[in-house]
Amino acid sequence: MTFDVDIDAFQGTDPVYTIAEEVFSAMIDGEVGHLRAWAGPEPTLTDEVHAWVDVRGPVQGRVLLSTEQPTARRITRALLAMEPEEPVGDADLADALGEVANVVGGNLKALVTDPGALTLPEVSHDRPETTPEDLIYALSLDWRGRPLVITLWNLP
Amino acid sequence: MRALVIDDSRTMRRIIAGILRPLGFDTVEAADGREALDALEEGLDVELACIDWNMPNLDGLGFVTAVRRDGRWRDVTLMMITTESEQGQIVRALAAGAHEYVIKPFTPDAIRDKLQLLGLVGLQESA
Amino acid sequence: MSITGESFSYVAELVRRRSGIVLESGKEYLVEGRLLPLARAAAADDVDAYLRALRTAPHPARLELVVDALTTNETSWFRDAQPFQALVEHVVPEVRRLADPGPVRVWSAACSSGQEPYSIAMALADVLPPGKLEILATDLSAEMLERARAARYSQLEVNRGLPAPMLVRHFARVGADWEVAPALRNQVTFRRHNLLELPPPGGPFDVVFLRNVLIYFDLATKQDVLRRVQRAMRPGGYLVLGAAETTLGIDDTWERVPVGRGAVYRHEARRAA
Repeated sequence: MTFDVDIDAFQGTDPVYTIAEEVFSAMIDGEVGHLRAWAGPEPTLTDEVHAWVDVRGPVQGRVLLSTEQPTARRITRALLAMEPEEPVGDADLADALGEVANVVGGNLKALVTDPGALTLPEVSHDRPETTPEDLIYALSLDWRGRPLVITLWNLP
Repeated sequence: MRALVIDDSRTMRRIIAGILRPLGFDTVEAADGREALDALEEGLDVELACIDWNMPNLDGLGFVTAVRRDGRWRDVTLMMITTESEQGQIVRALAAGAHEYVIKPFTPDAIRDKLQLLGLVGLQESA
Repeated sequence: MSITGESFSYVAELVRRRSGIVLESGKEYLVEGRLLPLARAAAADDVDAYLRALRTAPHPARLELVVDALTTNETSWFRDAQPFQALVEHVVPEVRRLADPGPVRVWSAACSSGQEPYSIAMALADVLPPGKLEILATDLSAEMLERARAARYSQLEVNRGLPAPMLVRHFARVGADWEVAPALRNQVTFRRHNLLELPPPGGPFDVVFLRNVLIYFDLATKQDVLRRVQRAMRPGGYLVLGAAETTLGIDDTWERVPVGRGAVYRHEARRAA
């Protein structure tokens, strides 16, 4: 389920996409070009892993990153400059994916006036509890052919 | 040269340390401002501190303020590396005594550029 | 002992693919020197060993480190730092001493996406009052000029060589980007211009930045461009080239003036008393 985002406020560029692209090109891929919008119907994730940060203050919201385990491991290897076959421990994966959520969330927080503070990232195989009415925005991305979804939620 | 890398994310500490080492730094890590301050108190000698903002126990702003208040650490270059990117936050950090400020996400080049500005790394010529 | 031909070819191809920059043979020493710190940090025996290991595990982040070590900062603010320091500490004070009391006119000739002219304006913000500085910024590319006029830069772009105090003083956040403040933008006029044509209006110029553009021309064209630039300058005006560039071997009518760790150039025939 997706909402319309008022991208006119950002002169036609999607700030969530911009931020995601900056994070991936600067720190994960080392170059632009591996991240694009997901083409076709919304992807269904299997073997899920979710990472999120909450914004708590005058504005209460959640920035949620959802992807699949193998993709999360690839992201972790990229961030930590690990060998292609090096095993990725759970702690490393949680920390790495959490940090991606933290950087994306932190930059999104800066777009909102007087937002409040960011919580520490949480990472889980289980999607955090959310209700459909609270969804503000969704962006499905294709990173090297794999799905990665960023969603923004109101927190009650 | 030695750098103190202060961030509550192990991933981020590893990334920053990985960028600093080829530039000629030995690195020491701390998970928050309190740990970092303790290390300095115990006599750790560093030329550079790379500091996250949001950390438990003592945050980056608190660390910067404490270091700048103490004459012993007058020569430590303080560079914040953080997601806090609102103009007001940057102003606060600089006012508290941070010498430089890098917004996450960053490239290795960006860190190098800042260290050149600070005179900690030499200028490279065109290839 | 330098690196093997195989190592050099690998690196040259990598750099060419990633940045378009061509490393000619003869640059082996430069490559080795630049990669030695990386090799040491990776505890490799030498650069050859480091590159062999890299080829078996060509990790994007590691490849980026290699490319970074070998390429210039293309779109950095205050590129190479020293020329801007020279501008503030030597060039502009000299210009003011010798020239009439009108505005100081600077030409940024190959301004690309605008970092250079805006850096000039920032560097001089405390040296010259607003009405006393006119900057003309030209480039051949209409798209670059559009970007430069918009004066809007991404967070990644403002991380590049821009001192944080300058960021907060001269930029304002707009969405996820940073925009140059109007006071600074008003000092720069952008115009499309081909260096092979007659000089643009707005002169005569007291200072011309012609950085890292002559390298793309052959000798005869370099000489042409320098002559045209010289004619657009005031007597006693200053020419600022790229960090590794010189007029030596191109045009010996320019005098090299050492400033700090670098140099600027003045034309002999037109030097004021």
